[in-house]
Amino acid sequence: MAYAFLRLSGYQVPQPCKSRLLTDLHLASPKAHVRCWSRSTPSARAPYSGLTGFKAVQRSLKGQRSRRLATVVSAKQEDDYDFDLFVIGGGTGGVRTARMSSQFGARVGLCELPLGWVSSDDRGGLGGTCILRGCVPKKLMHYAGSFTEELEDAESFGWQVQEKPQLDWKVMMERKTQELLRLSGVYQKNLESAGVKLIEGRGRITGQHSVEVAGKTFKVKKILVAVGGRPTKAPIEGAEHAIVSDHILNLPDKPAKVVMIGGGYIACEQASIFNSLGSEVHFLIRGPTVLNPMFDEECRIHAGEQYKAAGVKLQLDVTPTKIEKQSNGKLTVTVEPKEGADYTIADADVVLLATGRQPNTKHLGLEEAGVELDDKGGIKVDEFSRSVSADNVYAVGDVTNRVPLTPVARMEGSLLAKHLFGGQKDARCDHSNVASVVFSSPAVAVVGLSEQAAVEKLGNVHVFSSKFTPMKAALRQDKPQALVKVIVDSGSDEVVGFHMVAPDAAEIIQGFATSLKLGITKTQLDDVVGLHPTSAEEFVTLSSPARKYKDGKQVSAG
Amino acid sequence: MVSGHSSSENYDFDLVTIGAGSGGTRASRISAQQYGAKVACVELPFDFVATDEKGGAGGTCVIRGCVPKKLLVYGSAFTEEFRDAKGFGWTAEERPPFNWKQLLQKKAKEVERLNGVYKKLLRDTGVELIEGRAKLKDRHTVEVELSGGGTKTVTAKVILLALGGKPVKAPIPGKEYAITSDDALVLDDLPEASIVIVGAGYISVEFSGIFNGMGADVHLMYRKPLPLTGFDEECRQHVSENMTKRGIKLYPSTSPTKIEKRDDGKFTVHYETEGEKAKTIVAAVVMFGTGRAPNTKNIGLEDAGVKLSKKGGIVVDEYSKTSVDNIYAIGDVTERLQLTPVAIMEGMAFTATVFGDKPTKPSFENVPSACFIQPPLAYVGYTEEQAKEKISGEVDVYVSKFKPMKNVLSGRDEKTLMKMLVEVSTDKVIGVHMVGPDAPEILQGIAVAVKSGASKAQFDSTVGIHPSAAEELVTMRNATRRIKCNGKA
Repeated sequence: MAYAFLRLSGYQVPQPCKSRLLTDLHLASPKAHVRCWSRSTPSARAPYSGLTGFKAVQRSLKGQRSRRLATVVSAKQEDDYDFDLFVIGGGTGGVRTARMSSQFGARVGLCELPLGWVSSDDRGGLGGTCILRGCVPKKLMHYAGSFTEELEDAESFGWQVQEKPQLDWKVMMERKTQELLRLSGVYQKNLESAGVKLIEGRGRITGQHSVEVAGKTFKVKKILVAVGGRPTKAPIEGAEHAIVSDHILNLPDKPAKVVMIGGGYIACEQASIFNSLGSEVHFLIRGPTVLNPMFDEECRIHAGEQYKAAGVKLQLDVTPTKIEKQSNGKLTVTVEPKEGADYTIADADVVLLATGRQPNTKHLGLEEAGVELDDKGGIKVDEFSRSVSADNVYAVGDVTNRVPLTPVARMEGSLLAKHLFGGQKDARCDHSNVASVVFSSPAVAVVGLSEQAAVEKLGNVHVFSSKFTPMKAALRQDKPQALVKVIVDSGSDEVVGFHMVAPDAAEIIQGFATSLKLGITKTQLDDVVGLHPTSAEEFVTLSSPARKYKDGKQVSAG
Repeated sequence: MVSGHSSSENYDFDLVTIGAGSGGTRASRISAQQYGAKVACVELPFDFVATDEKGGAGGTCVIRGCVPKKLLVYGSAFTEEFRDAKGFGWTAEERPPFNWKQLLQKKAKEVERLNGVYKKLLRDTGVELIEGRAKLKDRHTVEVELSGGGTKTVTAKVILLALGGKPVKAPIPGKEYAITSDDALVLDDLPEASIVIVGAGYISVEFSGIFNGMGADVHLMYRKPLPLTGFDEECRQHVSENMTKRGIKLYPSTSPTKIEKRDDGKFTVHYETEGEKAKTIVAAVVMFGTGRAPNTKNIGLEDAGVKLSKKGGIVVDEYSKTSVDNIYAIGDVTERLQLTPVAIMEGMAFTATVFGDKPTKPSFENVPSACFIQPPLAYVGYTEEQAKEKISGEVDVYVSKFKPMKNVLSGRDEKTLMKMLVEVSTDKVIGVHMVGPDAPEILQGIAVAVKSGASKAQFDSTVGIHPSAAEELVTMRNATRRIKCNGKA
């Protein structure tokens, strides 16, 4: 929301996306004679096409052509390399590393695939998953959907809404698309103004010091792989009829009925979004709760209950076994519950398989370069983000299978730039106490240990937990409930985890994440005066533990 | 200090608390529940508007402050939500009809429910709740004029004064025509004509946002060049711009001089703006948010020897003890920081000190505070102006103004302001300020970090939550300016 990464204090939006065509740049040095980046702008009106094509771009540009002149010529080259650092992938991590390294004085090149809404071996786009098919579009759609709740709240406050508001799906999608294109353009501009050379095309490592992009080979000192990941489909019969999260952010029309398969945060977010946008949502999860065990169990149970109360048809402990296309083009999903007979969900317009993501490590020449991968295909790196097996290859972001979050990729990128070119040799990544939020309705936020993890790790634990109705919902009939939890190491009094399930949880938890970094005690937490009336003050007013554990065993309840 | 495990020697009670607001209720409950003290709590019968005869358990916060005002803030905020929704493709009515009476009824029901909760909390912990008007006869004796008739005299080893305060009107001719914030929360109808609000403390500013959101034509008059004296000046400037953009008419450097009632039932407000000729404006309602005064009259404080300040507040030491050894005072009546959670903190500290044998001073450092204007303002720690005055050495000021993501699509022309003050010599974060959606929610956790002594480096090492507004506070890279401060500390 803050767009902090853009560093554009006070920019005005929305702006028409300025576009430029692919141009050939003839630079003074023959080595720098490369095909350079374009601001290729796919049509905003074809959100689901997946592919964009430059014809469409050219049509939409109409005279906006402007040839970028080569004003930036590489610093005097004292060695044989074209670049000190070459970055494959222009997502959050790659762009951050490239910009910072360049600002530190390194000669940096970066390649990225042409823009497309659905990620593939040929399509990507500057901004990466976060901007084009993750954080930003989903949050914008989350905002669009949240109006439904606002409306319900408004009615409880005496607003007499006469006609049910209608959502113009195309307007929403087009505005969303415009914003994503604008942001992708901002990424480009930021790279350019930092002096990074952009090259459009698929990068491939062809030697210890060489990278090939779009038919050209560059001699590079160091290589950074920041190619991210993309969704995978679980091997269900008929999976070809299902879509993945890249697609669901770009549906041409509002689906009347959606089936979401998978219990991770992406499925939870999409279930909430489509539920609030007015679709009938069936949410199928193999396990007994939503979300994975990194999230606190009480929070997972609570979140599931709240989704249900909001109207999501949540079905736990079920296995979808088959997706079939009906003669009318709609889909039927066969479901096998843990107990009882199989059943079907028919007439679905869309079936989403949100069953995992995997690193984009294929066809990059990684194997040939001796870059070791983990069993999920992620690049194995050390705490400096260096490949454990190939000396001058580095990797940041989702491709490393560490913590796949935008700000983490940004952190890894910053630290790597400092390590390589900023004179801070010991800039190590610290992945502890990273806050994480599911932007569902209500949101689920976590930083630190869950109750289960704390008990396992520490043995002696006090759990403070409180459910309450946020004041904004106080006048509603259904009184939705929020949950806050603080997990304390009872031996040291240190707080080891903050958890919240509430509409504003994402914004609330940030400051607590900083506090956790400080290693504060429960006493220090209690010494802080509340900000009244807020939901966040619940965190500083939890007086007695709901549960106590000693040596890993629960010793008291209530 | 006072051991109260068994019923005291010669007194009816170990503790008699006068006033069952946030502070008094908390102190009474904890004294009884945690320390086994025999406690009575005296409170006036319930009413929405506070007088010498009316009050109610829950006090200002629950009945005529935080709770009802926040409900009205929520209620009034939907106007802008309807507007924002359009930018996301919703074809909704620009402004559905709004039923003020219905909202006020629901609000009243919620307030009454909470009033009941307070009473129940007291009774459940064994506190004897006495309804009526209390008067000190001497330092150990309280006489209660019972609301059901008759009087009751009780003696106590310790007396706790938690009397709160109430709004006062600026002394100008015709002030009897003006209402206060108590009245504004129970207006029969939403005025369709203009509302003039006098004063620009947080209460006036919040009400101007409420009435503006509900569709009234709001005129806010104040003496200073900017609203919200005491808050960070850059934030005050930002809030005042937001208010103007949202349609509130601001009259800085302005004082009303007289209010007259007109034949049509409306009022003529005469006012003077610095450097301009005197003018008038016609208003359906005139509200004064011109300060609050402690409830210290006609309670017999003088007779018991309890010292008052010039403004009428009860003078207390660091442990909330008054000039009389066994009489303590907490909350708004002591004119320290007039906030609900502060009264609760004072109540807890009093209880630990007096019944827990653990002398405890409430700490007024880094108390976060908010103004629920729309969008809200919240902060913790020093303002830039305070830093200049109190810090010695240099302070880095980080300022970020950005368009919140929601506004990108809604098209709302409003930016969020965030500001962080860092002491250069120590790298300590000494103040954080925000004007923007969710500011109070965001600042609570930030207050924990600031109060715990977080450095800028520690903020920076925190991974952001993306996409949120709050992440901006952990990604402020370059100081906007470095200021020289001339304090002694």
